[in-house]
Amino acid sequence: MAALYLVLLGAALWLGSGLTALGRPSERIALPLSLVGSTFGVAGAVLCLAQGSSGTLDFYFAGFPARLAMDALSAAFLVPLYLVAGLGALYGSSYWPLDAPKGTGRSLRFFYALLVVGMTLVFLARQGLFFLLAWETMAVSAFFLIGTEHEDAKVRRAAWTYLVATHIGTVLLTALMILLARRTGGWLWIPILGATSPKLDTVILVLAILGFGFKAGWIPFHFWLPAAHAGAPSHVSAILSAVMLKAGIYGVLRISGLLPWIPTGVGGTLLLLGAATALYGVLYALAERDFKRLLAYSSIENIGVIGMGIGLGLTGRATHDSWLTSLGFGAALLHMWNHSVFKSLLFFGAGSVLHATETRDMEVLGGLASRMPRTARVLFPGLLAVAALPPFGAFVSEWVLYRGLFAALMRGYPWSAGLALPALAFVGGLAAVAFAKFFGFLFLGSPRSAVAEKAHDPNLPMLIPMGILAVLCLALGLGSAWLLPAVDQVAEILAPGASDLLTTSLGHELRLIGGLAGALLVLGGLVWSWVRRPSKISGALPEPDLPTWGCGYSAPTIRMQYSADSFSDGWATLLPGRRIRMRRLKAIFPTPSTYQSELVDSAGLGFLEPMVERLAARALRLRKLQPGYLTVYLLYVLLALLGVFSWMLLRPWLMVMLGWPA
Amino acid sequence: MYHDILITLMVLTNFTLVATSRIHKSIQVAAFQGVLLGLLPLTLGLGFHIHILLMATAAVVVKGWFIPFLLRRALTKVHIHREVHPYIGYTVLLMLCAFGTGMSIVLAHNLPLKPGGPFALFVPAALATLFTGFLLLVSRRKAITQVVGYLVLENGIYLFGLMLIEDMPILVETGVLLDLFVGIFVMGIVINHISVAFDSMDTRQLAELKD
Repeated sequence: MAALYLVLLGAALWLGSGLTALGRPSERIALPLSLVGSTFGVAGAVLCLAQGSSGTLDFYFAGFPARLAMDALSAAFLVPLYLVAGLGALYGSSYWPLDAPKGTGRSLRFFYALLVVGMTLVFLARQGLFFLLAWETMAVSAFFLIGTEHEDAKVRRAAWTYLVATHIGTVLLTALMILLARRTGGWLWIPILGATSPKLDTVILVLAILGFGFKAGWIPFHFWLPAAHAGAPSHVSAILSAVMLKAGIYGVLRISGLLPWIPTGVGGTLLLLGAATALYGVLYALAERDFKRLLAYSSIENIGVIGMGIGLGLTGRATHDSWLTSLGFGAALLHMWNHSVFKSLLFFGAGSVLHATETRDMEVLGGLASRMPRTARVLFPGLLAVAALPPFGAFVSEWVLYRGLFAALMRGYPWSAGLALPALAFVGGLAAVAFAKFFGFLFLGSPRSAVAEKAHDPNLPMLIPMGILAVLCLALGLGSAWLLPAVDQVAEILAPGASDLLTTSLGHELRLIGGLAGALLVLGGLVWSWVRRPSKISGALPEPDLPTWGCGYSAPTIRMQYSADSFSDGWATLLPGRRIRMRRLKAIFPTPSTYQSELVDSAGLGFLEPMVERLAARALRLRKLQPGYLTVYLLYVLLALLGVFSWMLLRPWLMVMLGWPA
Repeated sequence: MYHDILITLMVLTNFTLVATSRIHKSIQVAAFQGVLLGLLPLTLGLGFHIHILLMATAAVVVKGWFIPFLLRRALTKVHIHREVHPYIGYTVLLMLCAFGTGMSIVLAHNLPLKPGGPFALFVPAALATLFTGFLLLVSRRKAITQVVGYLVLENGIYLFGLMLIEDMPILVETGVLLDLFVGIFVMGIVINHISVAFDSMDTRQLAELKD
């Protein structure tokens, strides 16, 4: 019980800190409130994961019995929520100060706190109606957060697109809750035992994947995601990407855990959907030149990887294979944790760059490593983590996923696992390329414009959260073996009957990986310090101060540097959404030429927008129905009346014709 | 027996209303229809209870005198005498009205109503009157004739309500109040405002108000 009350206390403190923004706000009250609230929240969730304690709180909501409950699954999502929210609050206190122009600082604080409270309730609610209320609180406060800079038409558009997407999801979820209530015989979520009802269970599961998919962002439900995450203030992008997308993941896991039976095909389909999403996300991340959109596409990729894990877990449940189930859900969960840590780090880092240079275009930046050395240093672990390189956490989670995919191949579900395996390998490789581009064109080379020349490191409140996250990135990789008991607890909730499976069978190899990686790190550090030891030869050649990537030219200019577009050109030309406008150079002494490139999300808004516009144009024709003459309106009433009359006349006759009972 | 005659007369006045072009005459006929309706409760063999008497008087006064009086006064103010160029021609309208009356009879036969009693003709007549009112509203251009159409529509509803007079007299009485309200509302606000704002009584001018 203590765990639940600690988390609720944390949420209450957050609410309090949000409410201070309504009055005469002061950073000295609001920030400690949210930091203490986060500490309580993390403590409660960790307590639940460590001790396996759970607690419930029953009450009445709108006349129906409702329940808040804490179990390992909730706790697994509450930890990153409070971690990222707390660090984000600290970061935001400097990134987006309370006295920001036009009151945005205050509204940002308020809705940020409301988002945290809403998500806490989403993860704790065990009743359909209450869950929907919490879900909407979360969705609507996220809308206001995305629209913080609503003076910008692009941001406004992104916020509205997000609102539409989230509400399509809510419609599906409402249908889901009604069906679930019919299945369980009440609004409370209790695991359904006993007789299966294949049709209804399949519909519930598919509705959950579709409805929560709009939040998680699997293709083709991702269309709102890049613009929304790029347009929001960076610490908001961090919490949206690191935690709010995971609310969709949580929903799928929770609902599937309630069902007594999983249809066979759904797991494989989700596995392939996840693989397609991951590939799509990473390809677009590679081609993107707006670095916050790049991060957003990378979120899509990681959500795809998590989806692959869930698909595998569901396949395991459908075939009653607890090893596959544990590996699949375990991989999803581990990757969820890792992604929340490294993606919030990357968004904080992107925010620092944005703060210093006020542009999101990679092509005008460069050389920031020498101007923002601390940022570059704390950001680097995040880059290695997102590329799933060994000492870091994402490597471990993808390792577990690979184990699961190979296990599935061995058990004879070859078609989906066989397709997903090369996709995952491809995704890992391309992610490394995409983030080489991210780091290379932001931090390396020479500055491409004056704004990059004048960039400087942010102050400590922005650096400290990034430092903490960077350490966590490494810790999650080295200490992954100690996470396994917690993962096992969650797997036990999702698919009862497989307790301690991962700890006993994977613990050994993860400890080995962690140990080896740790040893390599120490060795690498030693080699590094030996190479960089103070030189004994005095009067060594001074290093010539030349621009990077001179490529042998005697008088290179900064404009001759490799550009981000040319770096990804080989891959990006494959994408249908990429449009390039360039005049070919002709003659020996060519005249000045121009080059423009643009990336359209061809399965997202690039596909939807023309359709929506056509629909709107058609809907305009309906305006002719409103001519302005009273008599015409009365005619409509008359026609409606006649319609009702004739329906009443024809109904008995139709009933007889079609053989329906009257 | 008398009520059958009254109802038949009512349906006939419907046809007259549809076919008249003179506004003066249509107000007269509408008033006549109102008087017929007002007398109807007395012929139902329910005795002369105070409720029934009260309602009959109220209906005759309001439908037969008060509203026509208001309409005539408006007419002298605005100097129009004829409905020129209705949206639907008189012959077509007459045919439509006949068709509607036939349809109402068919429909009333198919409705699950209790058979017998003095109300056999009530439902088809009420539906036919309702339909006629609608036809008038849809086809006429002048605000005054539209008010007449609304009055006829009201009469249809009132006739329908009369079937409930035994069970819920209060409800039917409030129906009369509704008439009063409509009369004052329509006359006072709509007509005055149209003529003040547009110097005309033609409702087509209202189309300028749409967005």
